[in-house]
Amino acid sequence: MSTLVKATDITKDYGQDGVVTHALRGVSLSLQPGEFAAMVGPSGSGKSTLLNIIGGLDRPTSGTVEVDGQRLNDLGKSALGELRRDHIGFIFQSYNLLPVLTARENAEYVLRLQGVPAAERRRRVTEVLAEVGLAGMEDRFPRQLSGGQQQRVAIARAVAPEPALVLADEPTANVDSKTGQSLLDLMLRLNQDKGVTFLFSTHDPAVMQRARRLILLKDGEVAGDGEGLEDIDGV
Amino acid sequence: MIARLAWRSVWRNRRRTLITVLSIGFGLSFAIFFIAMGHGMYTKMISDAVRMQAGHITIEPRGYLEAPAVESYLKSPAELRAAVQRLAAVQRTKLLVLGQGIARTGSGTVGVALMGVEPSAEAITSPLARRIIKGRYLSDRDGPWVVIGKTLAERLGLRVGMKLVITTNNAAGELVDELCRVRGIFATGSEEIDGYFMQAPIAFARRVFGLPAGAATQLGVILASPDDQEAVLAKLRRLTAGQDLEVEPWQKILPQLASYIKLDEGSNYVFQGILIFLILFTIFNTILMSVMERQREFAMLQAIGTRPGQVMGQVFLETCFLGLIGCGLGMLGGAAAAGALQHWGLDLSSFYGGDITISGFAVDPRLRALLTPGIVLGMGAAVFAATLLLSLIPLRHAGRVNIVDQLR
Repeated sequence: MSTLVKATDITKDYGQDGVVTHALRGVSLSLQPGEFAAMVGPSGSGKSTLLNIIGGLDRPTSGTVEVDGQRLNDLGKSALGELRRDHIGFIFQSYNLLPVLTARENAEYVLRLQGVPAAERRRRVTEVLAEVGLAGMEDRFPRQLSGGQQQRVAIARAVAPEPALVLADEPTANVDSKTGQSLLDLMLRLNQDKGVTFLFSTHDPAVMQRARRLILLKDGEVAGDGEGLEDIDGV
Repeated sequence: MIARLAWRSVWRNRRRTLITVLSIGFGLSFAIFFIAMGHGMYTKMISDAVRMQAGHITIEPRGYLEAPAVESYLKSPAELRAAVQRLAAVQRTKLLVLGQGIARTGSGTVGVALMGVEPSAEAITSPLARRIIKGRYLSDRDGPWVVIGKTLAERLGLRVGMKLVITTNNAAGELVDELCRVRGIFATGSEEIDGYFMQAPIAFARRVFGLPAGAATQLGVILASPDDQEAVLAKLRRLTAGQDLEVEPWQKILPQLASYIKLDEGSNYVFQGILIFLILFTIFNTILMSVMERQREFAMLQAIGTRPGQVMGQVFLETCFLGLIGCGLGMLGGAAAAGALQHWGLDLSSFYGGDITISGFAVDPRLRALLTPGIVLGMGAAVFAATLLLSLIPLRHAGRVNIVDQLR
């Protein structure tokens, strides 16, 4: 099985007023297809920075990143955009749905960008909205949905294009614990049934419990990497 | 999808969108209304003034404009007149004999300008014929009869039917006296016209100034549409090439009126410019605000694979929608308001307390707009194009958003 994500010796420095902050200090990480992994660690440990670099939203100061066989360092802005569109799904903490589009339209947005034919688009979106538990709510606008339902639409939007990898930044942070559990159930089911690879950045203990791999980041370095909490010191 | 997103985004903040499109609409309506009003006012002013004088274009002996004396005149203009009359854009031609003299009665003496006209043609074209307040206008059968202004009549103690003597130097340089009678008295509201101007049949004017039959000091050309002036002017200059004649536009014959209109148009342009600037500032402000408050959304769109160009395209379309709705409203509103003023007019005589004169010419106190498709479409297109141009700055903000910073 080929490696889906391979990050090698990644550093990321931020400079302001002559003061340099080392957000990542030589992080190496690989992810296999079908994994359900979470990056954990205290605030400022570099989780979101690493997630952004793997997602092609940000560039490392040094080191290399490969996603689905493509070396991100070699790609220009436009090619990175295409990579994100065709290979990576994003789930954000605050849902980030388009308020003027319905649940169906939000879910099919990336498919439209990809130029998927209308009939195929409709079939896939209907199916995925049913999978996330939103059958019958396709024509509702985000303001007509609860927070948990909005995050389900965001999950549908991320998985509808059948990406190789879904990156989820604190996906359960804005919902109550019960809703968070059901969202986790949903993502786990998508992982198991459809083989969607998930990589989380999270503080949520529920996510840590359900993730099958935990990567602990501390001060910009990988401080631990294992299958469960018991494998990692300091969590 | 981008178009749908843009259209719905326009209505995301309904109140702001309504205020913006209404601002564009009102501003554009005002601009169209004032331009049409100015256009109507100037057109009427020019039309009245040139019809009272020699017309939109004057053909006269070379040097006459600088030194208008009856010694220089068109000896036999009939053939030239027929050629001019054949031009499609020419509505009418008229022969004039214009000279200076002194009008005398037992009550006094006043220096006057005597214009010899063809009464039947003049009655149709000149507004003077419609301003007769006593007696009647001249007819082709009239001999030594004149129509004079109200002020001149008062100065010379003249009433309709009374006699006066015109003393002048004729074309041969001799001092001559001619007796004539008052056929009618006109009142234009202009001190210059009413106090010093008189008209007589052209045959009598030729006799006064000692010109041969058929001669004239000027051949006037009245156009069906003033817009054709430049084209006709060029044709007439070609037609008279090689002859000792000059072809002059009304602006050269009536320079004060031309200057007034130019000055007034200039101040109107400044006013309209300020109005348009305010409209554009409103649009710019709305688009920029709408873009700045959606930076996170644009970052998310680009994060999930939307190209910056597509995001910019969405904002551009939003601007197009705002511009189209606003300009559509403005064009309809402006055309309706100007159309109403064109149809019904607005009588300002009570406001000004009498007649209005500009550069010595009486202006009809009933204000009327003159609406043309060019004004409505031109202004609408100009505001719409300026709106699109102004959107370029917000567009850059939408396309150059920092994804990581915005999503943090």
